[in-house]
Amino acid sequence: MTSSVALGPDTQESTQTGTEASTDSLTAPDIPWNLVIWNDPVNLMSYVSYVFQSYFGYSETKANKLMMEVHKKGRSIVAHGSKEQVEQHAVAMHGYGLWATVEKATGGNSGGGKSGGPGKGKGKRG
Amino acid sequence: MAKAFKYGLKGITGFLEPAERELLRSLFDDVISMLEPSDRGKQDPLAALIGLDMDVREPSDRALRRLLPNVIKDDAAASLEFRQLTERSLRESKIGALRAAALDLDKDELVLTPADARHWSTALNDVRLVLAERLDIRDEADADHVHQMQDWSQAEDVESYLALVYNFTTWLQESLVQAMLQSMEARP
Repeated sequence: MTSSVALGPDTQESTQTGTEASTDSLTAPDIPWNLVIWNDPVNLMSYVSYVFQSYFGYSETKANKLMMEVHKKGRSIVAHGSKEQVEQHAVAMHGYGLWATVEKATGGNSGGGKSGGPGKGKGKRG
Repeated sequence: MAKAFKYGLKGITGFLEPAERELLRSLFDDVISMLEPSDRGKQDPLAALIGLDMDVREPSDRALRRLLPNVIKDDAAASLEFRQLTERSLRESKIGALRAAALDLDKDELVLTPADARHWSTALNDVRLVLAERLDIRDEADADHVHQMQDWSQAEDVESYLALVYNFTTWLQESLVQAMLQSMEARP
């Protein structure tokens, strides 16, 4: 990812916290597929964070944490769910221009969202 | 000179010079023509209606492959199967956003609704992904190298011209995304 031009970083703290997961009691605890976002040198860090906030309804704090994980580690698991759910997310991410793949969960999660889908919080489909 | 997008009472606004509008229009058109399926006439009309495309293949062009990537890493067969079900509608939604953004260029001042802004941000992103492939941007060092190119008087070959265009669209997208993030915070 790239941070681009010198429009100052947005340091304002979000008032929302990452409480999405606890509300999702309909989803089984160990669902076997992950949505992975891969780093690339083109997508803007601000844009990736915006996509995580607007599509998944993640808080600014959580979206920035996942975005930095993509940037620094090369990839991040940003959502879990059934195969159909994560495939639907992947198509949406491709629509935004993010490089997304789906994979079977192996158990060793490297962080990321626990929720099965968007639609919580201020989620808004783009 | 273009003015950065900003969020205010009227929503998200921006300003572009006529030459900048023409540049963006041709960039949007280029990406639209890359994404338009070439063999629409041969399609089974029923399959096309429900978005299926059994003749689809993984694109050979790198830029197109970046716009329409495989959904499963290291599994071409499963990715192809998924592509047959989804690629047509993905192409159409990208084309829709690019067309919508191109239409906004007809107005003097850009005043974007939230939906317009979403179209613009994805349209600019797709343009940048294509330009980055043409410029061979493979890693952060390549991106930094391209980013050094800021002076239009230095544009003496296709590559330096493309680099300047890339930097302009990057600047424009960054200012738009900052305005969109501000508008999200302002929303109750």
